[in-house]
Amino acid sequence: MDNLDAARLQMAITLIFHIVFACIGMVMPFFMVVSHKKWLNTKNPIYKTLTKSWQKGVAIFFVTGAVSGTALSFELGLLWPEFMKHAGPIIGMPFSLEGAAFFVEAIALGFYLYGWDKLPEKFHWFTGVIVGISGVASGILVVSANGWMNAPSGFDYINGEFLNIDPIKALLNPAWFTQALHMTLAAFTATGFAVAGIHAYQIIKKRNVELHKKAFKIAITFGAIAAILQPLSGDLSAKDIAKRQPAKLAAMEAHYETKKGAPLYIGGIVDEEKREVNYKIEIPNALSFLAFGDFDAEVKGLNDFPKDEQPKVATVHYAFQVMVGIGSLLMLAGIIFFISFKKKKWTNKKVYWLFFTLLAPMGFIALEAGWIVTEVGRQPWIIHNIMKTKDAVTPMPGIVYSFYMYVLVYLTLTIAVSWLMARQIKALNETEY
Amino acid sequence: MIYVVLFFLGFSLLLYVLLAGADFGAGIVELFSSKENQEITKKTVYRVMGPVWEANHIWIIILIVILWVGFPAYYNILVVHLHIPLTIMLLGVTLRGVAFVFRHYDAYKDKSQVLYDNMFKFSSLVTPIFLGTIFGAMVSGNIMLSEQASFKLVFIDSWLNVFSILVGLFFASLCAFLSATLLIGEAEKGNEKIYIKKSGIAVISVVLIGFITIAYGYFNNIKFVMDFVKNPYAIIAMAISALLLIPLWFSIKNGRRIKSRAFAGMQVVLILFAAIVTHFPYVIIANSKAISILDNTAPESTITNLGVTLIIGALVILPGLFHLLKSFKMIKILEQ
Ligand code: HDD
Ligand code: HEM
Ligand code: HEM
Repeated sequence: MDNLDAARLQMAITLIFHIVFACIGMVMPFFMVVSHKKWLNTKNPIYKTLTKSWQKGVAIFFVTGAVSGTALSFELGLLWPEFMKHAGPIIGMPFSLEGAAFFVEAIALGFYLYGWDKLPEKFHWFTGVIVGISGVASGILVVSANGWMNAPSGFDYINGEFLNIDPIKALLNPAWFTQALHMTLAAFTATGFAVAGIHAYQIIKKRNVELHKKAFKIAITFGAIAAILQPLSGDLSAKDIAKRQPAKLAAMEAHYETKKGAPLYIGGIVDEEKREVNYKIEIPNALSFLAFGDFDAEVKGLNDFPKDEQPKVATVHYAFQVMVGIGSLLMLAGIIFFISFKKKKWTNKKVYWLFFTLLAPMGFIALEAGWIVTEVGRQPWIIHNIMKTKDAVTPMPGIVYSFYMYVLVYLTLTIAVSWLMARQIKALNETEY
Repeated sequence: MIYVVLFFLGFSLLLYVLLAGADFGAGIVELFSSKENQEITKKTVYRVMGPVWEANHIWIIILIVILWVGFPAYYNILVVHLHIPLTIMLLGVTLRGVAFVFRHYDAYKDKSQVLYDNMFKFSSLVTPIFLGTIFGAMVSGNIMLSEQASFKLVFIDSWLNVFSILVGLFFASLCAFLSATLLIGEAEKGNEKIYIKKSGIAVISVVLIGFITIAYGYFNNIKFVMDFVKNPYAIIAMAISALLLIPLWFSIKNGRRIKSRAFAGMQVVLILFAAIVTHFPYVIIANSKAISILDNTAPESTITNLGVTLIIGALVILPGLFHLLKSFKMIKILEQ
């Protein structure tokens, strides 16, 4: 493995790890405050037990998210010093605002976790709301920084120099809105379905059913609404990409030949040697329509991009298929949940709960797949059309070893946190009323 | 505006050293305690640090963001040349953070606690040693600016040298000192003695290691130390800090919690001041030349934005943080 590949892989695994914790740390507080509100309104002790149990989850995920985030903020520089040297002053704005948002979040979390029975009830609850809001704000800000890598703006690039820097314009780059919207929805979808799935499983096992049904309902409501909106926002993203990063679009769709009225491929095996796609389902003219809202629009194929400016097609195409496939499934699940409001007898069937149990990991799989589309699809550029990833990497050799270390540490942490969560649920089931 | 940014850089450095330092120190104190005292320390630390724990550690993120946004060229030298100690330090931060939550939030308190405790204690020692080593490496004159030399010269010798490591040990003992002093005031009745003793040991090691570091630097002609001992401001600061050891000692003995904390904090302020005043703005001393933090700063528009963001951020955050600290202190007094 050469240094560049090692650095990329290290960046990828740290982000893949961080995003899970960050999303949960961002969304769980919302579940927590809803349950907390119900406790305040109904004084039903089940809600208090649930709130306190979720709060422990929030604390564990928050800190794991925070330490992996701290590692990331150094890693950007440690692995990509050339990138940070030039990009730092331009995209510093979202990062410094993000720092402020983290701070607010950490302070509010301090109040929330330690404020039970000490702070006035309403104020205490409200600090929980602030935790949620500032978490989402930091998510949006960091995604805006990523948007800038896809759609660099707010500077003039003259003779290899970044001049006339405008940090606000860089923050509000053309990609920030679609990406932030899609990402925030994704966080709610993924966390909602994951949490709901865990509680659904407990319901199947007939453990503490009353509590788990309440928990399921709160989590899935958030997840279902987000999942239904997700494909709409994804369509906006795709139209955006079609304009801004045509090479990424072509890779997502494994679209080699430039064509008017281009067909959409579903599934299929990509042959990168022969530059064709086998065993696919083909829907005529659909790609042109999805990308440009016109059945006859011309979609530029990969063959018309310079060889050294093409991303890896297979990875991007498969990841995109996974995301869209799961996205459609989760949207369907969301609709099923809302129908089950009317048809109460569905919820008496084991298969209903089994269905939601099996969906637990799906949101996160889609989320990681989505990021792979975005990030691998941007290659070979680290800053789209401005700087190549290979020119940004650190001159220090031997990054492989640090990569191995991160794999080991993060694998251990993943196992440890899952184990801790299992114990959390076990303890919850042993609670008596 | 650049001075506003520099102010916040210094401010977050100071707060990180004080707050996270006290937090690292808590683990070190625990590491060097008897079994039964460890339990007491663990409980006290959690009660005192719990609510502000997260906030304490965000200062380093603020620090790093200011560096990379405002002083990119300077930051670049650090991340390239000190990659290895930075990575180890991050590993320490990670293990320490997770151990801290795991041991308090694990639903069952069983044998796994032993593992969390050990993880916590050892990473509490390793992390500040490497942080100190990084500071030491910045001024040790061993950073090779050209990347053409061998791997060992460029990426290892820059930080793996006696002087840098002495600075690392110095910082770790400073952390232990801060923490022990803080804990005196927080301990339950009857337990103060433990921390009075620890605090005494820590003061002695701070002075001793500090002295060895300076002596080593002096006899080995390390430029930073040579300048340090000649700089009148640094000498005055160190003299004041030595004098202040006396009232510090009395307030510790008499269990004056606010006073002893104020004196302990002042020690840190003076030490940082002395170190910075010696060489500001040349905060990196490489083998061939000293590099000013004010060379190659970010363009004007970025600095202005950063400064404004920092001011607004501070207006929002500092009152909240203050309130957080105050609330939980007040609550504790009411409880007693
Ligand atoms: C729960 C997760 C999830 C689900 C169900 C979907 N997505 Fe997604 N998608 C993401 C999670 C995600 C993501 C991980 O959050 C990404 C990565 C970057 C971003 O902004 O969002 C993303 C990126 C992303 C991009 C690339 C954006 C870019 O590079 O700027 C496109 C075109 C789509 N998505 C399209 C869709 C469509 C058409 C979906 C229809 C079902 C869909 N996504 C479902
Ligand atoms: C959290 C979700 C994210 C995931 C899962 C993710 C995943 C990845 C992957 C797979 C790569 C390797 C791409 C390749 O080299 O082929 C990568 C690279 C990178 N990502 Fe992300 N990414 C995420 C978010 C972000 C964000 C928010 C930023 C910046 C603010 C970012 C910055 C980078 C950088 C600088 C690289 C290295 C350069 C490059 O390969 O282009 N990523 N990421
Ligand atoms: C799409 C990608 C990302 C999202 C959505 C995201 C979101 C978040 C959120 C919500 C948190 C708060 C922790 C919690 O509540 O659990 C967090 C923590 C953190 N993230 Fe990320 N993040 C992303 C990528 C990154 C990247 C690329 C960096 C590095 C520059 C980064 C740096 C940090 C830092 C430093 C923290 C810790 C802050 C603290 O101490 O609370 N994040 N992230």
